[in-house]
Amino acid sequence: MESLDEVIDAMIADRVIHRHRRIWLLLIALIVAAALVILATGGWKEKKGRTVPTLDAPATVTAGRFEFNFTKAEIVRKPKTDYSKAETTLRVYFTAKNIDTEEQKSESVSGRLLKFVPGGGKDLIESNGGDCHGGLNWELVYGLPPEECSTKFDVDPDFTADVVEIGVLQEHYEGDNGSLGLNEKPYWHNEDAAAVVRLKPTVVVDDGKNR
Amino acid sequence: MKLYRPATVLVGLLFVLLGGVTRLAGPDHVYGEDQNLKVVHGTIGEALPYAGSGSTMKVIRIKFAKSIVSADAGDDDKPFDTNGVFVAVEWDAIRGVKDPDSFTPTLITDGGSVYQKVSDPSESRIDFPDAGFASTGTVVFEANPADLKGLTLRLKPTMFFNVYNSEIRVDLGVPTEAIAQQMVDGAVDQYVVNDDVTRVAS
Repeated sequence: MESLDEVIDAMIADRVIHRHRRIWLLLIALIVAAALVILATGGWKEKKGRTVPTLDAPATVTAGRFEFNFTKAEIVRKPKTDYSKAETTLRVYFTAKNIDTEEQKSESVSGRLLKFVPGGGKDLIESNGGDCHGGLNWELVYGLPPEECSTKFDVDPDFTADVVEIGVLQEHYEGDNGSLGLNEKPYWHNEDAAAVVRLKPTVVVDDGKNR
Repeated sequence: MKLYRPATVLVGLLFVLLGGVTRLAGPDHVYGEDQNLKVVHGTIGEALPYAGSGSTMKVIRIKFAKSIVSADAGDDDKPFDTNGVFVAVEWDAIRGVKDPDSFTPTLITDGGSVYQKVSDPSESRIDFPDAGFASTGTVVFEANPADLKGLTLRLKPTMFFNVYNSEIRVDLGVPTEAIAQQMVDGAVDQYVVNDDVTRVAS
């Protein structure tokens, strides 16, 4: 059986909870509205634009383990046949030299080091890796002269462009944070943007006849 | 209120164990020069035991070449040229009962260079066959002619954790710069990379 005291306590508690209810609701609504406004205007982070240099081909870029020299680009169109759909690839030609003085180790140009920048807020397209010397992912030897290489980006079949931009990433020879329990001995990793190279592509039709 | 419920203690223990695991799998031990690797040294023609697995690896001979071509190359396939020199290592592997760890083959030199095997042609490989078999094949490396002194084939087991293991190092017989130069000068114009051949281990 409830005592009168308990009933009065419950009434007071009820009043206290409901006293500022409108203010609380208003505050929560304001926070939600503010979050929506920030999201809609492009997030909290300040947009800085491009922070790496943009170079015009032919351009030499020193990026981590490699020294690239970009020469030309081609938009290769494969027309539709009875057996396959129309395909377009962007092929970029460059020379690459292994300049890894730290480890002096043979290394291939991995696909994630070169990225096609479509612009207009679209996602970057990774390359398929350095096709040097007639072999895909050919291991470039430290100390040898630069090798002729090319790499390929898969783009839409109706892709056209007067100028294409290729992002070059560089790895860093550094260790991890020892205070987090990770190993401080340096190794090649942590790639970030080194430069963007602009090339004027020529259109080539690959109908399989000049093979 | 009970502060140390069994679940709390278990979560704490889990974090401690995770910390230990990340130490074990540190890049130093997994990728680097390790203190926990016993080095098995040898020379050409010597069958060397691999990581206590009962398997042995032997280098039969090495060949220097200016270009390499796949044994089953078609008419369109061009040979692979180089600005440096190709080193073809012909090997013979006998497989024990226990499955040996997979390994990364590299050539190392006194000058500090590390040469990786060529990615093409696919016949260039070095591996152990199935249990009860032995195989012979070729693995090709592209190298810098200026840094060949102390050329050594290194077979380092791939490890995910820091365990006591052993690696093979085969001295390929290039003790001086002069000998290296002679071998580069005497490199054959073309080396045909044959597929590996498997036989029954006797």
